[in-house]
Amino acid sequence: MPRIITKKSPEASHNQVSHNRINNIYEQEKLIDFKKVLAIMQKNLTVMSRDKIRWVFLLLFPILMIGIFGYVSGNMPKHISTAVVAYDNSELSLAIEQQIYNNPTFAIRHIVSTEGEARNLLDSGEVRVIIEIPPHLEEDINNGVQTGITVIVDESDSSVSGTAQQALSAIVTQVAKQISLQKISYYQQSVAAAAQKLQMYSGQQINQYGLIASSLAPAQAYLLQSKKLTDEFADNLLSSLAPTTISIPTIFQNNSEINTNYVLISYPPGYDAIQAQIALLQQSSGMVSSAAANVQTARSLALQAGQQVSSLQDYNSYEQNVAKPMDEIHIFTYTSANNLLTPLVYQAKPAYGTGKRAIDFLIPSIIALTIFQGAVMGMGRAVAGEKREGSLTRVFLTPTSNVTIIIGTLLFYIIFELLRSSFLVLVSVLLFHIKIEGSLLAIGFILIVYAAVATALGMVLSSVAKTEQQFMAMSMPVTMPSMFLSGAFFPVQAMPKFMQVLANFLPITYAGDALRGVMIKGFSLSMVAYPLAILFVFLAVILGIVLMVFKRDIE
Amino acid sequence: MKNIIEIKNLTKKFGNFTAVNNISLSIKEGEIFGFLGPNGAGKTTTINMLTTLIRPTSGTAVIDNNDTFTQGSRIRSIIGVVPQSFSLFPELTAQENLSYIGRLYGLTAAQINERSEYLLNTVSLSEHKDRIAGNYSGGMKQRLSLAASLMSNPRILFMDEPTTGLDPQSRISMRELTKLLNKQGMTIVYTTHDMDEAEKICDTITIMDNGRIAASGTSEELKRMIADHHTIEVELEVITKEIIAELKKLPYVISAEHTGELIELKVKGREGVFYKLSDFFHRKNEKVVEIKFREPTLEDVFIHLTKKDLRD
Repeated sequence: MPRIITKKSPEASHNQVSHNRINNIYEQEKLIDFKKVLAIMQKNLTVMSRDKIRWVFLLLFPILMIGIFGYVSGNMPKHISTAVVAYDNSELSLAIEQQIYNNPTFAIRHIVSTEGEARNLLDSGEVRVIIEIPPHLEEDINNGVQTGITVIVDESDSSVSGTAQQALSAIVTQVAKQISLQKISYYQQSVAAAAQKLQMYSGQQINQYGLIASSLAPAQAYLLQSKKLTDEFADNLLSSLAPTTISIPTIFQNNSEINTNYVLISYPPGYDAIQAQIALLQQSSGMVSSAAANVQTARSLALQAGQQVSSLQDYNSYEQNVAKPMDEIHIFTYTSANNLLTPLVYQAKPAYGTGKRAIDFLIPSIIALTIFQGAVMGMGRAVAGEKREGSLTRVFLTPTSNVTIIIGTLLFYIIFELLRSSFLVLVSVLLFHIKIEGSLLAIGFILIVYAAVATALGMVLSSVAKTEQQFMAMSMPVTMPSMFLSGAFFPVQAMPKFMQVLANFLPITYAGDALRGVMIKGFSLSMVAYPLAILFVFLAVILGIVLMVFKRDIE
Repeated sequence: MKNIIEIKNLTKKFGNFTAVNNISLSIKEGEIFGFLGPNGAGKTTTINMLTTLIRPTSGTAVIDNNDTFTQGSRIRSIIGVVPQSFSLFPELTAQENLSYIGRLYGLTAAQINERSEYLLNTVSLSEHKDRIAGNYSGGMKQRLSLAASLMSNPRILFMDEPTTGLDPQSRISMRELTKLLNKQGMTIVYTTHDMDEAEKICDTITIMDNGRIAASGTSEELKRMIADHHTIEVELEVITKEIIAELKKLPYVISAEHTGELIELKVKGREGVFYKLSDFFHRKNEKVVEIKFREPTLEDVFIHLTKKDLRD
């Protein structure tokens, strides 16, 4: 029972003296009082630290989610029973078969010679995938005829068919790239040889036929330019190759036979990096064509010069110094021009860096989703819960401004979510071997902005709701779309158009883009400026709404 | 004493419901002002308007020349409120709760230490200051709530039904604490639906009902309002419905009710009533055990004014 200290002990009376002085000094309330902001943050930390169960679930839930995805992608179907229809038995075909054999996705059970036989095996369930190597594959590629390897899958099992297509596509891409390299390498050699010959002859006796020399000089410049561009292309192609190269036979011999088949290179849409490469190649090819035209002019001038030769000795000199080199230059330039755009059947997939797995691209989405849900849900206790509990009312009774309360509350939860997501990044690295490509500071920056958007959004809901139950009901329609449209569970590209449009209005879409860019693709902050800018717009709008709906009125 | 709180034509509507209907009153500095009324009378709504928690629909409330609507932040620095419910952080200890509130009042660490030590001692929670407040008993919670409200040593303390739901001992201590604070110079606005309590501690009392002020004054002034209504308690050996019906027909009887073992009569005037009643019972052949007058209580005033029982 309370002891009422009225008089008696000297201690008590001393207290009386210092404490019965009524406070009648008006305190000027500051708009933003940082000492109070700190007090609010510290209070939230203590409150949260007492709730052990909440801690466990806040940390466990996302790990569980990453774990499930890690498990799922770590258990992609392997050793799928496969039948290979080998219509072609060239060295290249054998190399590709070897590659399929080495790939853990496939288990070659049968090698048959017609599609009919393979179909029977598929129908009987003996195999689940058929890989068809078309007749004269090597010959067609050599002759510039577009050709391709076919995979026939049982569509009823989407995970098997998806995995098989992905694995085969990877093999074919690799093969196609290596063939391209061989071709480019041959092209580089012929351009180099043509340039060298021009160099050799132009300074010598041809000079006496000044007209020819003046025609050859620009040709040489064109060839050198073309070589430079091609080298660049080859370098890019080489760096995009997977580290494990497939050994394929040399298909393009250094022969001077002129190949007239042109096949367009096909790339998947939206593969901008490759589009730039094609432009490079086309520019290079244009250079060679110009060079070839110049050589053509020079050659006809040389023929005219030859017709004017009168003595046999002069003719021998002409033959030696002009006619023969001209022919050689002509052959080399034309071979180069024509060999450049010959058949490359490309089934390339976009790839950033090397060896990225599906889970690498999922983790940023999962982290974004976790922050979003955690931040929104966490605010339920922060405003609606404290309102019901009455503790927020008690805060309202103190000379503390709304802005101070808002900042203190948001700041705590933003920092909390930042720490929580940092922990998740750490778990992703340690448990799921995610390689962080970009800077950690940039990732932290994105996480802070996004956590601010999510906590502010939670605060809006929490301020509007009168009870935690109301808050839960309100937050469902806000968090659910983000969950399904985050791309963590289902690919957004596969969804109906209106869902994709809806995704454009969700902060998680932009947070996922920015995080993926920096974490997995190694982008810098300036390269994700667009999604970041959108996030800032979200933040500004939502903070404005918070100031409008967070009221002292406890009605 | 000057008026520290002035309320003029204050009205609060929640949709179609009028919780507080055009009330005007003033509260003097240094008094214990009692707000009396049944649940839903509009007491808490009035307190919430005075403490800047909700906005009036119309009318004004002014505390020490500060309008509650436009100068809320100034008012908040001189008032303390003991809300109806616990309203502190159940996850924090008593000490942590007090420190937090103290920081929000802008007190320094030294001030907080000194003040919370004194207050915890005053409300006898020193030994329990490091316990989680959520695990406190009802009485302890209410005492902690009082301590929190006193962190800033406010000029005016609003106490909204501080003794509701407490055991008798805790009630008594809460009342004594209230009186002590008042003695130190604090103006206290005390809300209750306990007549007895209001009579014991309040200097002036305002009775609210249905959002309106039913009556105002000191306890004595209020009781005088029903001075011409006298209550007589009659105890008979056998009480029948018939005799009550007969009693109601008497010209000097206002009402007759059977309560427990007694018949409670309200009569006009005091003169000759005893004689008339004994004559009446004698003629009816009823054996009277006792007839006596009862002094009026605030409860009688309340029932007279509101036509309903307080604890309804």
